[in-house]
Amino acid sequence: MIRSIQLFPVLGLLLVGGCATTTPSDVVGAGTQLQIRQVQTREYDTLDKQMTMRSVVATLQDLGFTIDQAHLDLGTVTATRLHEYTMRMTVTVVEKGDERISVRANARIGESSVQDAATYQDFFVVLDKAMFLTLNNVD
Amino acid sequence: MNARISVPPRFSAWWSALIVIGLLSGCAATIPKDALRLPESTLDIRSIQTKTFAAPSETEILAATIATLQDMEYNIDRIEKPLGVITASKVSDADSAGEKTGLFILDLLCAATGGGGCDAMSSAKDEQHITLTMVVLPSLARSGEYVTRITIQRVIFDKEKRIKVLERIDDAETYQQIFANLSKAIFIQVSEND
Repeated sequence: MIRSIQLFPVLGLLLVGGCATTTPSDVVGAGTQLQIRQVQTREYDTLDKQMTMRSVVATLQDLGFTIDQAHLDLGTVTATRLHEYTMRMTVTVVEKGDERISVRANARIGESSVQDAATYQDFFVVLDKAMFLTLNNVD
Repeated sequence: MNARISVPPRFSAWWSALIVIGLLSGCAATIPKDALRLPESTLDIRSIQTKTFAAPSETEILAATIATLQDMEYNIDRIEKPLGVITASKVSDADSAGEKTGLFILDLLCAATGGGGCDAMSSAKDEQHITLTMVVLPSLARSGEYVTRITIQRVIFDKEKRIKVLERIDDAETYQQIFANLSKAIFIQVSEND
């Protein structure tokens, strides 16, 4: 009969092995692309690309982020928030035709990417408000 | 020799659970629930960080904004004119005389009691990296006016280059001072071009 003490190295290896090695998913990402994309994306047809991006910038500032970069042509905004933990966000705004604009947000906290739908839903609630204000010419 | 591993059922269930928990929880991060929710103080903070200025054109107010940042010894990192976004940063000394004295005394007492590893001084603040974003856009409500919003955050490192503080700057006085500087810069910019 194996002694319990002999299981310790095995358990240790399993625990360490679960995190320590660099696997392709560290670099390539682990989730299914379509699922993550759906959770992170919303479409709008109320404002043009520039005004949508203006609303995205206002949203990020309201959420306490500092904008690192913004490119109108590429439709990207990246931002960082330092407070207890470091959170980084990249938001891309793309024209889809038929006057539809697609907004995709991607967040990372520390070393992990945020994949839960509720967090992205919160972000889009704030963005919806900012877009409404922009649409109604409220600064 | 009998090579079969024989483990009592309760025991193996416990180990299995532990292994599964170890694997699953080993790398999972805890996402704060309210990470992307508007804090209650949003409107207050927004009003501290925002000011509207009259200016002849967007180019004039952007030029004045850049001049203000340079006056405050910031490096301009990026400008995206169509979105009115200017990102700037600077590294400055974070040393505080009071803190250094306290930590020095701590090290002195530690050495006096014969303890090893007396190194409180290395945890004194050394430098701070400040990042500032100014967004300058035409007002949607009033023509000829521009809405400026500033957000500032900083990282303070200790002497061993470890992160000591991560924070957003929220005090009204800092923003008021920056807006006062910007107001002067706009005045100078407009007078020079008249």
